[in-house]
Amino acid sequence: MLILTRKLGEAIVIGHDIKITFLEIRGKQIRVGIEAPRGLAVHREEVYRLIRDQNVEAARGSGMVLHRIPDIWEQLTGEGAKE
Amino acid sequence: MKINTARFGEIPVDESKIITMAGPILGFEQLDRFILIVPDEQKPFWWLQSVDDGAVAFVVANPFAMKPDYEPEIAGDVAHALGIERQEEAVVLCIVSIRKDPLKVTLNLRAPLVINAVTKRGGQIVLEDPGQPIQFDVTGVPKTAPEASIPVLPAGDPIRMLSVPPPL
Repeated sequence: MLILTRKLGEAIVIGHDIKITFLEIRGKQIRVGIEAPRGLAVHREEVYRLIRDQNVEAARGSGMVLHRIPDIWEQLTGEGAKE
Repeated sequence: MKINTARFGEIPVDESKIITMAGPILGFEQLDRFILIVPDEQKPFWWLQSVDDGAVAFVVANPFAMKPDYEPEIAGDVAHALGIERQEEAVVLCIVSIRKDPLKVTLNLRAPLVINAVTKRGGQIVLEDPGQPIQFDVTGVPKTAPEASIPVLPAGDPIRMLSVPPPL
């Protein structure tokens, strides 16, 4: 991992069109500004991981129902469901 | 063209209905072409089948049928990147997770799929609002009647594929 030290207000540039500016430090929090091309997704890492893991779980879970998903709806709405 | 799928066997694909996930489904970045399969118009659960990997398919749902007050705020630059100018052009679907024994069905409301039905470009959008649950449990909540919950797709309905082979 490349490790750099920056001062407040300074920035790093990645490639030619991504710029990350270090704006403010408050206690243990750092505010950064990110300039990146439109359409390039920027995620908080922990949120990214949660969504990705949920997608993987969903893809795996869908394997159990084959393609009879209307049945799932009927179970959910109580048509034929047993609680 | 025809594709081989794990669930439906070999199915014909109308190439004009292929959805391109310009903003990838996270964790599935290598797969960007999907088709939307609607097995039963009266039910709000559909399939989003990968064109490139027949084994990958997501169950997707119309979130508004499960949570009528769902209001995803889609940032202007995201809408712009997808070429969405009017709300009617956007189709919003949420990925469904299904667990069995006991049955538990959740919707990812935090990261909906937004598709421009005209250009058929879409993406998984991570909403800024941390109050939107990643696992919205629809197992126990009352649903709107299926008749009332059919998603309103744009005129001409350019993305829906109805041809599904009979169940295995």
